[in-house]
This record gives sequence, structure tokens and C-alpha cells, in this order.
Amino acid sequence: MQNIYEAKSANKRKSTIIVVLFFVFVGISFYFIFQAFNYYLGYGPGGLGLMGVALIFSGLLSFTSYYFSDRIVLGISKAREADRKRDFELYTVTENLALGAGLPKPKIFIIEDSATNAFATGRDPEHAVVCATRGLVDKLSRTELEGVIAHELSHIKNYDIRLMSVVAVLVGSIALLGDLFLRARFVGGGRGKSEGKAGAIFMLIGLVFVILSPVVANLIKLAISRRREFLADTGSVAITRQPQGLIDALKKITHDQEPLEAANKATAHLYITNPFKGKKDKRAVSKMASLFNTHPPIKDRIKALENMR
Amino acid sequence: MITLIIVGALVVLVIWAISSYNFFVSSKARIKAAVQEIGNQLKRQADLIPNLESSAKGFLKHEKKIFKDLTDARKSINSAIESGDVQKMSDAGSQLAQVLPNIQVVVESNPEIKGSGVVTKLMDELRDTADKIMYARRLVIDLTADYNVKRVTVPTSVIASIFKFEEQKGLITPDSGEHIEVSAKDTKTPKVKL
Repeated sequence: MQNIYEAKSANKRKSTIIVVLFFVFVGISFYFIFQAFNYYLGYGPGGLGLMGVALIFSGLLSFTSYYFSDRIVLGISKAREADRKRDFELYTVTENLALGAGLPKPKIFIIEDSATNAFATGRDPEHAVVCATRGLVDKLSRTELEGVIAHELSHIKNYDIRLMSVVAVLVGSIALLGDLFLRARFVGGGRGKSEGKAGAIFMLIGLVFVILSPVVANLIKLAISRRREFLADTGSVAITRQPQGLIDALKKITHDQEPLEAANKATAHLYITNPFKGKKDKRAVSKMASLFNTHPPIKDRIKALENMR
Repeated sequence: MITLIIVGALVVLVIWAISSYNFFVSSKARIKAAVQEIGNQLKRQADLIPNLESSAKGFLKHEKKIFKDLTDARKSINSAIESGDVQKMSDAGSQLAQVLPNIQVVVESNPEIKGSGVVTKLMDELRDTADKIMYARRLVIDLTADYNVKRVTVPTSVIASIFKFEEQKGLITPDSGEHIEVSAKDTKTPKVKL
């Protein structure tokens, strides 16, 4: 049994550790890839310029999608704004929980889809959006709905959308850099001043990083995503003080095998549970496969919730 | 080099002190606002519930009357049939005929009898209002807890004692009394009888 305050700080600590680990890893990768680039192209301005362009390009791309995340995602997911009369439960539950969490009331949207899911987006609490499917609102009781919405509000409160956007930019940059490096290597081979022992070693390390970094960075990114889910579950209980509501909701959502049509890979990490479950989660997920999930297994989440009081 | 490190450390220290100070001051302001929010929600409740109550009562009264008229008419028809008196039977028939237009009006204006819906709506609003007040209090409790924890834990306690930030009371709850005592009676599982 864990007191909710203890659970919250423990989760925060674990989350911070993994985020720091990620940034350290990205820093090291960048360093070695840059070094390899430099040795390969010589210290000319051309190499740095190329990488600068790569970084700026991927940065701009991700920044736009982050800054307009509320509008873009809602456009993709075909949602309509909820109103108090028609969607009394969803509207009032969100309003009340935002009050309890000390957040401004987010915009509330509903997707007319019988799948059961919900997500939050927006770059900061002032531009936050909470979105639930019709199926979720219809199938859950008020207490269960509170658990789910409080989970989404915790994502907003923890700035998870911002964090995951930054992480995505960095993962994208690493992949882009690696791509550029390999291309330059094979297209213009032998042009640079890569002679000499140090140069060769750096080339080798750089190559290893180029090949492995995107994969490792992606794995850490997914680990962060899973950690933030646990954190949001804890945050949900901190607001509602009713773990049973979220536990029941998670059970109901897993039993419902309908995939959400409006979801895509880009938005998967935002949802309360993996929106593609019907498509691939049917077989038991092995330890290895679960490394590639944006969400921790529901079983583990329920176990963690049951330990909270 | 050493002076540079010292200056750097000092700058960090000052920034930290300012941000800690700001945490305490803004926390206090937020707690105050959260307390006001409780008042706001209570006011909303005070305005809303009597209105809902009277409109629900109005609906129920209307429907109750129709149901009562219907039952009365049915009863008098039954008793008239039992008595076999023609006059009584015709009276009962006209009594029923008087009730019917009323029923028609109700059924036409609300395809389904609305009484249960109105009561459900009232219950929903009641729960929502109670939730709102509860969550408004939750915010005060959480903000106060954050503030009070930072006030006594190292290193922020240094700033708190320098500027003499006092403990925040939050939701004022008596330190002793029934709510933190368990009597023998409480240990029995309650049985619900309807």
C-alpha cells in the first residue's frame, strides 16, 4: 500500500530519471555523429551547415505540429465540441475535475465513434483539449469517467504533450542526421580528410551511433511515454481519490476490443489506452514486444492503482 | 577562475531563492483564490437548487394530478360496474372523459411522461453541484499541502523562515471528534433496507 502523495513523488522521480537519461543519450549521440561528420567532411563549414539545416528543418516541422497540436489532432480525429446540455456527464465531469486540479477548463470535444477511448492535447493548460469518444461516455459510469478524464487532465498538468513533442523532435533529428550521414558517406565517398587513426576511430564510433541511435532513442522515447502513463494514472487518483473508478474504467476499456478508426500512429501516445488494440494486441504481448508500446500493459497499470490508497 | 565559479554559484543561489520566494507568495495567492472558489460554488448551488426543485415539483404535481384523476376515474368506473347502476356508470364515464383531454395535452407536449426524467435531471444536477464543491475544496487541500510541505522541508524551509511565511490552514477541520474516531457501532457493516 502506498499513500497517494508517496506514489506521486515516486512516479515523478522515476519519470525525471528516464527523461534525463534520454537527454544525456541524445547529447552523446549528437556529439559522436557530429564528430564523425566533421572527420568525414573535414572541419569545413559545409558539414555544419548541412546538419544545421537538418536540425532546423526537423525542429520547425515538429514545432508547428506542437504549437498547433490542439487544432491538428482534432482535425484528424473528426471531433465536435461538447456542450453542457447534450453531453452533460462529460462536460460537467471535465469541468469539475479541472476545478479540482487547479487547471483552467479545457476545451471539451467528443468523437462520434463507438470505440472507448479518450485523449488530451494542446501545448499548455491554457490551450488544452480533452477529447472522449461517444462509446466511452456511454459505457462508463460517472465515477469511471472521472477516472479517465482525470488521467487526461494529469497529462495536461504534467505538460506531457510538450515533453513528448520535444522528445519526438530529438528522435526525429537523430534519425534525420543518421540518414544524411549514410547518404553523404556513400555518395561522396573519399572526399573528406578522414585519414589518420583518430579519424578512423571517430568514423567507426559515429557509424555505430548512426545505426543504433535512432532505435535506442525510439525505445527510450517509448519508455518515457509509458512512464508518463503511470504518472498520469497516479495524478488521476490524486484528483479523484477513487482508484476503483479508473481501475473499472480500464477493465471496461480493455474488454472493449473495437479499434478507434480516427486514431493514427502520430496521436497514439495521447490516448488513455493504445487505440490500436484490436489490431495487434490480441496475442499475449511478450516482454520484448512490450518495449515497443506507447502504453504499459493494462494489467500493470491496474496493479499499480490497486497499490494506491 | 575561482571567482567565476563563486559568482556563478551565487547567481544560481539567488535565482533559486527568488523562485522559492515566488513559490510561497504565489501559492498563498492561489490558496486564497481557491478558497473564494468554494464560496463561488456554494453561491451557485444556493441559486440553482431551489429553482430546479421548484420546477421539478411543478412537473411532478402536474403529473401526479393526472395520475390521481385517472385512478379516481378507474375506481369509480369499477365501483359503478360492480353496483350495476346505469346512472353511476354514465357519471363515471363522463368523469373519465374529463380526464382524457388533460392526458392528451401532457402526452402531446411530452411524448414520454417526463416526471422520471425531471427527477433524474435534478439528481444529476445535485450530484454535479456536490462534486463541484468537493473539488473546489480538494484544490484548497492540495495547494495548502504543497505549500506547507515546502515550508518545512529543506532547502525551501530556509527561505520560508527568512521571510516568516506562516503555515496555511487550508480546509479547517477539527483535530478531534467523531470523524477520526471509530466507535464499536461503526465497525458493523451497514445493511441497506429499502
